[in-house]
Amino acid sequence: MSRRHKAKETTHQNPNLIPMIDIMFLLLLFFMLGADMGQRELEEVMLPKASSMKEDKENKEKDKNKLTINVYHRYEVKCPSYGDGPGNSVKVCRDDAHWRTGIKGKDYSEPEKLGGYLKKEADATRGQDPKNPQVSELKVQIRADQSAPYGLAQRAMNTCAKAGIYKVEVGAARPADDKKKKG
Amino acid sequence: MGGGGNIGEESDNPVEINVTAMVDVIFCLCIFFMCSFHFKQLEGRIDTWLPKDRGVFQGQPEKVILEEIRVFMKWDVAGNRTIRKVGNRGEVNSDEDLMNIIIQMTNDYKKAGKSEFPVLIDATPDVPWQEVIHVMDLCKKEKLERIEFAAPFEMMNKGGSKN
Repeated sequence: MSRRHKAKETTHQNPNLIPMIDIMFLLLLFFMLGADMGQRELEEVMLPKASSMKEDKENKEKDKNKLTINVYHRYEVKCPSYGDGPGNSVKVCRDDAHWRTGIKGKDYSEPEKLGGYLKKEADATRGQDPKNPQVSELKVQIRADQSAPYGLAQRAMNTCAKAGIYKVEVGAARPADDKKKKG
Repeated sequence: MGGGGNIGEESDNPVEINVTAMVDVIFCLCIFFMCSFHFKQLEGRIDTWLPKDRGVFQGQPEKVILEEIRVFMKWDVAGNRTIRKVGNRGEVNSDEDLMNIIIQMTNDYKKAGKSEFPVLIDATPDVPWQEVIHVMDLCKKEKLERIEFAAPFEMMNKGGSKN
């Protein structure tokens, strides 16, 4: 009995760690390459669904003259009137304080602040059209949450118009059933 | 010992490296990147245009002969739904009816020789954004490319034309 016990104690189990390390390295590489470490221009927004939307191809040269305004529900606020409703419907949170208008991670919920920033950005591309020297060629995308009231998107559009920006597009996502059809 | 051992065992490799610390660090890094990772949603855009001459329009307004294609949207609190109307017509309940009216109006424009007939969306601020996008989506499906948004009341009062 005592001899068997002794034999158990002296046996060393050396698990082979090399395959595990290999896999972990691969996983690490995948997540590192997939991670977005830059300044986030796109906030997490539940975009409204539209099957006629044009897919946005990433083009850094083209994106130089493009600005994205995100209208999203504040992450820290838990609101019962925000999110998906029964069926395909969406709930609408109409509390202004629950919403944030942001550009490149900064809060521009105040219209004056947003207007000042847009005017500054628009000035760089103003005057290219001799017929309308006050208009800017800056392109603005409004990415508003599907649960947002129209007033918030309207406010952003108004501020753009006041700043002389007329090239405005709105962000939309392809509906899930459309994705299936397209394969 | 002979043949039964794994690569990396003491018998094969006389220089033993302690990989435990490295594995720990990789685990931590892996967890960090896994937590910060998020899959990108397939996104797109719908083009719209704001009037170029808002607030500075000085000329005489164009004489309107044809009825403006204006989609009114209003939130009905009691019914918890959006009421849609086209021009001075009654409420439109289905998407089909809405598009039929709009197409009929665009045909009138075409008959009159007009090539441009913007669809104006005039919604109250409490209408869900999804509903506005839905109407835009329906128009885009019918190849109606010019979609415009009506200026809010305060802006129209401050001077400058709506279009």
